[in-house]
Amino acid sequence: MNQVRVAVAVARKDLRSEWRTRELVPALAQFVVLALVIANFGFQIDSRNQSSIAPGVLWMVLVFAGLVAFGRAFAAEREQSSLEAMLMTSASTTAIFAGKAMAATALLVLCEAVMLPALTLFFGTPLSFGVAAAVFFATIGMAALGCLFAAMAARLRARELLLPLLTLPLWIPIVVVGGQAVQSALGLPGSFDQAMGLLIDFDILFVVLASLAARFVLDE
Amino acid sequence: MNRLEPAAIGAVVLMLVAAGAIFFYAPTDALQGPVQRIFYFHAAAGLAAFGCFAVVLVGGFVYLWRESEAADRLARAGALVGVVFTTVTLVMGMMWAKPIWGAYWTWDARLTSTLVLWMIYAGYLLVRRLAEPGRQAARFAAVVGIFGFIDVPITYFSVTWWRTQHPSPIIVSDALPPEMLATFLFTMACTLVLAAVMIAIRYRIETLTDLAQTAHEPAAILSAVEPEPAR
Repeated sequence: MNQVRVAVAVARKDLRSEWRTRELVPALAQFVVLALVIANFGFQIDSRNQSSIAPGVLWMVLVFAGLVAFGRAFAAEREQSSLEAMLMTSASTTAIFAGKAMAATALLVLCEAVMLPALTLFFGTPLSFGVAAAVFFATIGMAALGCLFAAMAARLRARELLLPLLTLPLWIPIVVVGGQAVQSALGLPGSFDQAMGLLIDFDILFVVLASLAARFVLDE
Repeated sequence: MNRLEPAAIGAVVLMLVAAGAIFFYAPTDALQGPVQRIFYFHAAAGLAAFGCFAVVLVGGFVYLWRESEAADRLARAGALVGVVFTTVTLVMGMMWAKPIWGAYWTWDARLTSTLVLWMIYAGYLLVRRLAEPGRQAARFAAVVGIFGFIDVPITYFSVTWWRTQHPSPIIVSDALPPEMLATFLFTMACTLVLAAVMIAIRYRIETLTDLAQTAHEPAAILSAVEPEPAR
């Protein structure tokens, strides 16, 4: 119980500092819209091909927005050396990690709340519950892995380079099943329930593994 | 190195015998012709790479559990050799795919997951290089190695889970003529021996590198130079 309180307190601290500075979410939202504009020119989108290209654009944008969000979560702590202070308290490392991951997830979900309507606006994708659910569950698994490797990369040289190199290949299972879920939610062939089931399986696997590994990464 | 030299020579001789079996003992495939001979070493190298990554996984677990430097060196050796064997698998597969499929690459589940596997362990080697040598590098790499192994079963079962262009495992499906099967099993055994010897040699190199690094630290030099305290 105590661990849950620590995690919630860490998450609240991160969200409050974001609320006070309002740096990351507006920047991410702008990044998302910019990425959609670039996609429009890159793919020469018109009314015939937009429904088949939109799911791909969604994942490209989500993955890169996620890298920025999770990278920032630990970069800010590193700049202030505040993570060391938190680790010196009696709070468990897993709880601190869970709190950071929860806050980063919440910020990415906020950015998705801009991305999905923007996709509907610019690409005509129907804004359905299925798409939102698939994106949300993908975010959980992505956050568990992304925050773990962001914590690692924050302590390494060339961290901006290393975070995508480590995270992107490991996110691929989530992108594969999440992509299937979004496609079937948009009416393309494929089983939505099966894809969502697999997505939740991957979420559980990554959340459990990341919480177990957090101790070895944060303590270092 | 003296004990490893005969082992290395033995592994090379075994690989030459396997090459002899592939080119002179195994019959030519009726449909694919001589190109099919790529299969023997391609599949064997792929399985050897999985074995190497299993070494990385076990080494990583043992390091995190016991902080055993030997386990970490073994994981380091396994990752490097595994990346080499994955590269061999990918390149040989592309050489086979060009005449058979008409293209070097298709975005098939087996091919893609193997490429992802290569990138994960290339990232592992990069973490080793960019982290501070010692505990940090070992811990971070162990975590990457454990997460990275998730892709190994995905790659292995990709041909059964998804409808792929890549041929299914024919050993289990009993579709190989006996000469081909014997050649494959022999090549497989020789490749595993080669991988084991390469890991052993790399392990030795890592041990010597670690020794050389600690020898450069002032404390280690002092303890080596200073005479024993008088009894």
